[in-house]
Amino acid sequence: MRRLLVAVVFVVAACAPTLLSAAEATDRAELIGKLCGDTASLGDAGRALTGIAADGSPDDRAWAAQLARAVIDRKLTCDAKGAAVVLSEGSLDALSRTPRTVSEAGRTPLLSLKNRALFETADAALALRTAPDVARRAAALRTLERQASSLPEHLLEAAVGQESDPALKAQMMAVAQAAALNSPDPAKRIAALGRIAATPDRRALTQVRALLADPAYAANPEFKHAVDAATLTISRGIAVGDALATLYSGLSFASILFMAAIGLAVIFGLMGVINLAQGELIMIGAYITWLVQEVIRQFAPSLLDWYLILAIPVAFVTTAAIGIGLEAVLLRHLYRRPLMSLLATWAVSLFLTNLVRVTFGTQNLNFVTPFYVTGGVPVIGDFIFTWNRMFAIVFAILTLGITWGLMRLTPLGLNIRAVTQNRIMAGCLGIPVRRVDMMAFGLGSGLAGLAGLALAPIYSVNPQMGQNFIIDSFMVVVLGGVGTIVGTVVAALGIGQVNVLIEPLWGAVAAKVIVLLMIIAFLQWRPEGLFAIKGRRK
Amino acid sequence: MKPLASHHAFSILLAAVLAVALLLVISIATPFGLSAYVANTVGQLAAFAVLALSLDLIWGYLGILSLGHGLFFGIGGYVVAMHLLKHSWQVTGKVPDFMQFMGWSEFPFYWAGFGFFPYALLVAVAVTLLISGVFGYVSFRSRVGGVYFAIITQALVYVAMLLMFRNDTGFGGNNGMTGFAVVFGWPIELKSVVIAMSAVSVLVLGMILLGCRLLLESRFGILMIATRDDEVRLRTLGYETLRLKLVVWCLSALIAALAGMLYVPQVGIINPRLLSPELSLEIAVWVAIGGRGHLIGAVIGAVLVNAVKFWLSAAAPELWPFILSGLIVLVVLVFPNGLVDLAKLKLVRPMGAKRLSSETTELH
Repeated sequence: MRRLLVAVVFVVAACAPTLLSAAEATDRAELIGKLCGDTASLGDAGRALTGIAADGSPDDRAWAAQLARAVIDRKLTCDAKGAAVVLSEGSLDALSRTPRTVSEAGRTPLLSLKNRALFETADAALALRTAPDVARRAAALRTLERQASSLPEHLLEAAVGQESDPALKAQMMAVAQAAALNSPDPAKRIAALGRIAATPDRRALTQVRALLADPAYAANPEFKHAVDAATLTISRGIAVGDALATLYSGLSFASILFMAAIGLAVIFGLMGVINLAQGELIMIGAYITWLVQEVIRQFAPSLLDWYLILAIPVAFVTTAAIGIGLEAVLLRHLYRRPLMSLLATWAVSLFLTNLVRVTFGTQNLNFVTPFYVTGGVPVIGDFIFTWNRMFAIVFAILTLGITWGLMRLTPLGLNIRAVTQNRIMAGCLGIPVRRVDMMAFGLGSGLAGLAGLALAPIYSVNPQMGQNFIIDSFMVVVLGGVGTIVGTVVAALGIGQVNVLIEPLWGAVAAKVIVLLMIIAFLQWRPEGLFAIKGRRK
Repeated sequence: MKPLASHHAFSILLAAVLAVALLLVISIATPFGLSAYVANTVGQLAAFAVLALSLDLIWGYLGILSLGHGLFFGIGGYVVAMHLLKHSWQVTGKVPDFMQFMGWSEFPFYWAGFGFFPYALLVAVAVTLLISGVFGYVSFRSRVGGVYFAIITQALVYVAMLLMFRNDTGFGGNNGMTGFAVVFGWPIELKSVVIAMSAVSVLVLGMILLGCRLLLESRFGILMIATRDDEVRLRTLGYETLRLKLVVWCLSALIAALAGMLYVPQVGIINPRLLSPELSLEIAVWVAIGGRGHLIGAVIGAVLVNAVKFWLSAAAPELWPFILSGLIVLVVLVFPNGLVDLAKLKLVRPMGAKRLSSETTELH
């Protein structure tokens, strides 16, 4: 007896999807009837399908999803026995979902423009609830976003409840909020206002501002109060976000300036030689990064995302070798003639630019964007903490740390500092001045190569990219004061921030012009820069 | 007083310049002589030679390297372009391209009076003197020199280029100014006018050469060379070098502006690329290759480098930058005084040739 009971339960459970309660069956039959009806009833059917997406059982939703899709794709055929969904492998009866043939006289309902919109909404709503694929659900949400206020109230709440992807869930909540904001119930609207104010950005502000024209704003004092409070909170959040965004982009610009200038600072501080090819060494660093990426793509595609890290030693060593070569062949002979070294290094920069142009062409190089420099975290207002900028900043900080350690803690650094302060005395004390020069030039060039690497994911890389750097980075060096790393850091931060502050007011070109003029004027007043090594002025 | 090339070589150069000028004058009056194309090329080369002379005056004889002389060249060029456009508009009624581009029907107010050449000339002189005077005074007073001065002048010309690239300034923006139709009432494309402009350029080159020579042979010139060789000593002896440097700097800027005024009518276009730091660096390269500290060196360097450039940018444009960079390295390493060293090779033992000591006292 017991066994029999178990068996019966099993049979019932197995048949459950096809065994419908009488009421459900009538509902579905009625819906199918509407689907096969005239234009008006087709519209009702579309709304009913959307309703199922909000309130129906999982089975209902799966059934409705198939129907909505079939109507849009014109795969639904109405005939004397009801309706059937035509699939590639055969036809299924719309109601019972059992295979059956479709009579020749069957008619396919045609959607009017208005009904098509209704069905697309229904399809999207059902996809939001039933689609297994995140991308499909996200696409459905984008479709629904435009008519969020006309959707059934529980639809989005229910979808949020079952959503597994956190990013999509957040988006759904935002859309749900917008829908709640326009709901007829004032309490709901006020609650929605509070939730919107919690994530202040410009979109939220426009949403709330739109409510000022709402009749309820004038009629309901409680609602008015809530709207005003939300506007204030959001405006404040946006202001804070803007300030942070400016600071952040200034910081990232400063870190690029610093990267470009630190190599120049070491060389200029030590030898009084301006390496006009410094920008080209940056460019070569970026090209080497690209070459490393291509080699990895060929031989170890699984490591492709890590090319920026793997290229660090390659870029440094190659550009340092080029620098050492330059020093040994060319600049060694020009230490007593610094103006000639300007021309000589300019010749080198001309040569390198054109060599790269002839070898690689003039087009911008394409870089893979690894996951650790993609996207960002929205913080407050419109301020997004983007990872590519963070990469440049972290890279600059690491470079600063390593350079500082090298200068302060190693024998080479000690020698470099000694020669920077007094070349002749250092020579008298037995420091191999020429070798120190060579190593320092290599170090400065290697740092330029690293700058190129850090720029690769955020800058357009082409043979001309180096030309823009030399003036900016030299300004950083002289503003900071020759031979001080601290000065270079402070000057880079200052120039970066001032530039970013002026930019929104008068545009990028004007910002550059004003900053350069300010530096030129400053140097007339204090030629030794911000942080000068104390000494007799010559 | 003998680092100057010998009087002999200078006289030959001056005679050659005057002979070219004479040839050009003959070409205007008679059907013989040079074609308009050749004459135009010669005229442009002469303008470049004047520009090189202006830099040689300050770098070769005062030891101050400016990498921003393109700024003054550009000022001269822009002012004369404004004059030509306004003048052409007055004669032909054609509205300049850049104004059509910006949708302006009237000239901006600061274009007033530019149709009148003496006024344009006055503006060019005044602007050049103002900028070079102010910048020179503050720089020399705080004793900014050497590499610092070079890079700051480069930044200055870079700033000017960025400004001129803006379309709303009323100076043509990134397209620059072109379409000059009339010069002093004459159609600018007429063969005799082209040759005449070239002849004027060559004559001006001769006059500037002679003028520089006279200046350098005067007491003032001796002071210049003394300043170049040991400024600290001169100051210690009680001579204030500030005024001297300022005067030569402004003079050099004026000559560069004059070169721009000669150059632009002959090429028929000006755009902000004239203000690019690369062009200003190239001027220094001409002088270095020809031999700085020699008037003939600057002229020969400018003419030679640009003649090769004209020829190669048509024949093998890819090759030119490589040749130029090779030339610079060669000059810098092997012939520190430029091609003038070649002449000396025969007269003195090569290794014994004294190098200019001008740069040993630089600040850095």
